[in-house]
Amino acid sequence: MKPRLASAAVRLLVLQGSMNHERLQGIGAAVAIEPLIRDLDGGQNGQRYRAALARSAGFFNTNPYLAGVAIGAVARAEHSGAPLRQVETLRSAIKGPLGSLGDRLIWTGVLPVCASIGLVCATLVHPLVAVAAYLLAFNAVNVAVRWWGLRAGWRSGIAVAAMLSQSVLRRAVKFVGPLAVLSIGVALPVAAEMLTANFDTSVRVGTAGVALATAATSWFLMPSVGAARVGILALGSVLVLGWIW
Amino acid sequence: MEPNTVIGLLLWGTWVGLDLASIAQVMINRPLVAGTIAGAILGDAQTGLMVGVVLELFALDVLPFGAARYPDYGLGAVAAAAAAVGAPGLFGLGLGVVVGLVVAYAGEIGIQLVRGRTSADVRRHRTDLEAGDRSTIYRLHLRGIGRDALRATVLTALGLGLAGIARFAHPTTVRTAVALSAVATGVGLGTALLGGVRMARGSRASWTWLATGIVAGTIWVVVR
Amino acid sequence: MSLELVRVDDRLIHGQVVVGWGQVLNPDLFVVVDDEVAQNEWEQEIYRMGVLATQEVEFTSVSDAAESVERWANSSCRTIVLVSDIDSLTRLCEAAPTIRRVNLGGVHHERDRRLHLPYLFLDDREVDQLLALAERGLEISAQDLPTAARVNLEDLL
Repeated sequence: MKPRLASAAVRLLVLQGSMNHERLQGIGAAVAIEPLIRDLDGGQNGQRYRAALARSAGFFNTNPYLAGVAIGAVARAEHSGAPLRQVETLRSAIKGPLGSLGDRLIWTGVLPVCASIGLVCATLVHPLVAVAAYLLAFNAVNVAVRWWGLRAGWRSGIAVAAMLSQSVLRRAVKFVGPLAVLSIGVALPVAAEMLTANFDTSVRVGTAGVALATAATSWFLMPSVGAARVGILALGSVLVLGWIW
Repeated sequence: MEPNTVIGLLLWGTWVGLDLASIAQVMINRPLVAGTIAGAILGDAQTGLMVGVVLELFALDVLPFGAARYPDYGLGAVAAAAAAVGAPGLFGLGLGVVVGLVVAYAGEIGIQLVRGRTSADVRRHRTDLEAGDRSTIYRLHLRGIGRDALRATVLTALGLGLAGIARFAHPTTVRTAVALSAVATGVGLGTALLGGVRMARGSRASWTWLATGIVAGTIWVVVR
Repeated sequence: MSLELVRVDDRLIHGQVVVGWGQVLNPDLFVVVDDEVAQNEWEQEIYRMGVLATQEVEFTSVSDAAESVERWANSSCRTIVLVSDIDSLTRLCEAAPTIRRVNLGGVHHERDRRLHLPYLFLDDREVDQLLALAERGLEISAQDLPTAARVNLEDLL
């Protein structure tokens, strides 16, 4: 049995292409697992293959960068002769915890760190070089995590939880969180200096006031409004005031 | 704007929009990247970078979990660059960010529309899906990607239109332009600060991490 | 008062709960209330990897949970209770009047369920169960993330 992992890895890049309310990543998960279940008993016309494909197209949602862990493990479980009920349980149970792990690793870990690298570089080098640094830093992790995840999932099958709890990933998540917070801290004054370099001191003080007011308002008064709408509201008011005044 | 520039921005915007969720997520959707490259296409990467930085600060407070709603700041940054490039000095930054935020928010609504349409499509093909029909799965998936590509292209075009309008409607006084830039920067910094605070709590990292970072960054800025 | 959140979510432990709500509520303990998971150690191991190293997870059946609610509410441990479906929620709340507020965070598409919010699909029986709970004085609202809008039960049906 020669697993078509490369093909599955490429398809995992478009996991969220048909994201929808009903099944979220379900259709994409079926597209991604397809190369790994082609050689189930009966081949692509067989009942096993169709049933596995139908299962995979059901409701599914996890962190896209780690999705390969789930896809690989479920595909392996389909081959291993585990009871169907266990395959289904694996598929439905793993998406949430894996998503939580991946969300912490990427969205509140690697990404803010790379964004801060980009922001700091923007003050040091040519803008396009800063962009390249941002993308290179992030995608080094992106490619490594995706490929490692798919292969690790495929190796472990139903033992995927034991594998993950022993893996470097859990340890990485522990230190990447504080690192992300630290790097946002560094990036804040650097970005502030860069953006306000042309402002007078009084305008700078005003900007700092607006910043604190925004953070306080969004935390205490209206957490559900979202920064984009707060920004549109604030800037719209300034524009209108500017016209009237 | 030259026709080639417009085509370049439309193509870039389409890829940026697809990168948010549908394809690969290599982070060209991040405003810093999307804005700077859009600026470069317009011949002014530095201005693109400036609006990109402000919108990047906004984007630092977003947790793009699967089903949650979030603005498309990448598409916003493309439009913001288009609005800011060419405007003199401080006039560009604030106005660019206004346009960027509106497009980012429109992008969020667009995502909901696309996902609603794809949901209906999936519902219509329930029987074939339950039978595990491969070609149905492939077609549904490709149509989903197609819808998102359409969203990205349409919103980029809309953003370029908005940027054009913004150039006519830009503030007439320096005072308003400065106020606009200052408020845009302030709201952005405040949002990123809040993002840092939330992350500190979420990962149970101590507050000292955030404080240490801010102190270190400040020292670095002062020393330079 | 340390029962921070009682949430119906068929994904149980996932990013929205651990990261999204975690950022605001700072929980020490997640309680997974599900009769099947409570008996399946292999499945529990999967859910355990979803939380932070400094957080605990407890798995209980609905009936055991009803007896423990009082203990969680009075402990100094900040607790998030996760229930997988409306059926279990109904049984839990009927047996545990300490619970006054319930968050609907994710019930997804299945057979006869209809869309009420993008993350909330309910069939007629589940709607009736929720209305009955509301009639008993429970405060029921839907909200996937703390940064999203909260929708009260009467507004979403």
